[in-house]
Amino acid sequence: MDTSDQEKIERRVFTSFFQAGFIEAFTGIFLLQLGLPALFSRSGFGDWESALLTLPIALILLIAVFLVRRFVVTPRLGHVKFLPERRRKLSKLIIVPILTLIAGAIVGFIFTENASLRYIFVGQIPFILIPIIVFSAAAYFLDMKRLYVYGAIVGLVFPLGKYLETVIVSRNTLPATILFTAFVFLGMATVFLVAFLRKYHESEV
Amino acid sequence: MKELEDQGKKQTTDSLSEIMNIDRLVHSPARLSILTYLSVVEEGDAVYLLNQTGLTWGNLSANVTRLQEAGYIEVVKEFKNKKPHTLLKLTDRGRKAFQGYQNKMKGLLDIKSLSPGRTENR
Repeated sequence: MDTSDQEKIERRVFTSFFQAGFIEAFTGIFLLQLGLPALFSRSGFGDWESALLTLPIALILLIAVFLVRRFVVTPRLGHVKFLPERRRKLSKLIIVPILTLIAGAIVGFIFTENASLRYIFVGQIPFILIPIIVFSAAAYFLDMKRLYVYGAIVGLVFPLGKYLETVIVSRNTLPATILFTAFVFLGMATVFLVAFLRKYHESEV
Repeated sequence: MKELEDQGKKQTTDSLSEIMNIDRLVHSPARLSILTYLSVVEEGDAVYLLNQTGLTWGNLSANVTRLQEAGYIEVVKEFKNKKPHTLLKLTDRGRKAFQGYQNKMKGLLDIKSLSPGRTENR
């Protein structure tokens, strides 16, 4: 067993802590956060009202995910403190989305201030690029290739919804596309959690 | 020719003595598995080891005790939310023993993998 074998084992151990569907659940909640306000605002609610209506739903779901992790998943998987290299990678993972959002906000400000650039920004580019960058960073730092696919799916939801809007003429086509994808991710999370519960049983040691 | 044969015999004897010198405490599959999974983390609890190694609680406990007695791992027993919780950590001595075992086995396997080629060249 050489270093690369140990790295493989470490990666396998690390990824085993994400098999209960949390990434899928967070992705689903993120898409709900995009889809629900769009649905509410197209149903006659204002932007702030839509956001306020969505927030409790997202909060309840997030609290549910954390409770499941704390009381159901962790006792079954055990407690582990990973090596400093892994912890460094994880800290970088937190920095990347923050930097992306800051960069997005700065670019957004510049573009919205400039009328000729405004159309590009309020268009689809940030909705495509931000998820791809954030998910790719997560895929790299977490060593999980499936996150590249998730990033591509989340990045493509918005343009797909816009495209479908031209085919199926309805004001709810875009939110429906986003919400459908959100429910697919939440469904995947449920399936992964059930599979996890079947595989691991709680043991008191 | 005789010199080559003698050299070959010496190498075989050396590799055999290397096999005899292998740390038997690490060599057992269960303990090797425990050490492997502890070497890739800073510390982990017994549930983590049970899941990763696939050992039964009794088997894990017996092998952990042997490794602890040898000073290869550190065991901390505590109560978490009023429930017993066993935390395990590889000691520096344990890490050295595990790395030494890895190197020795790698060396032995390398010698073995070279042997057929050497026979053909004779």
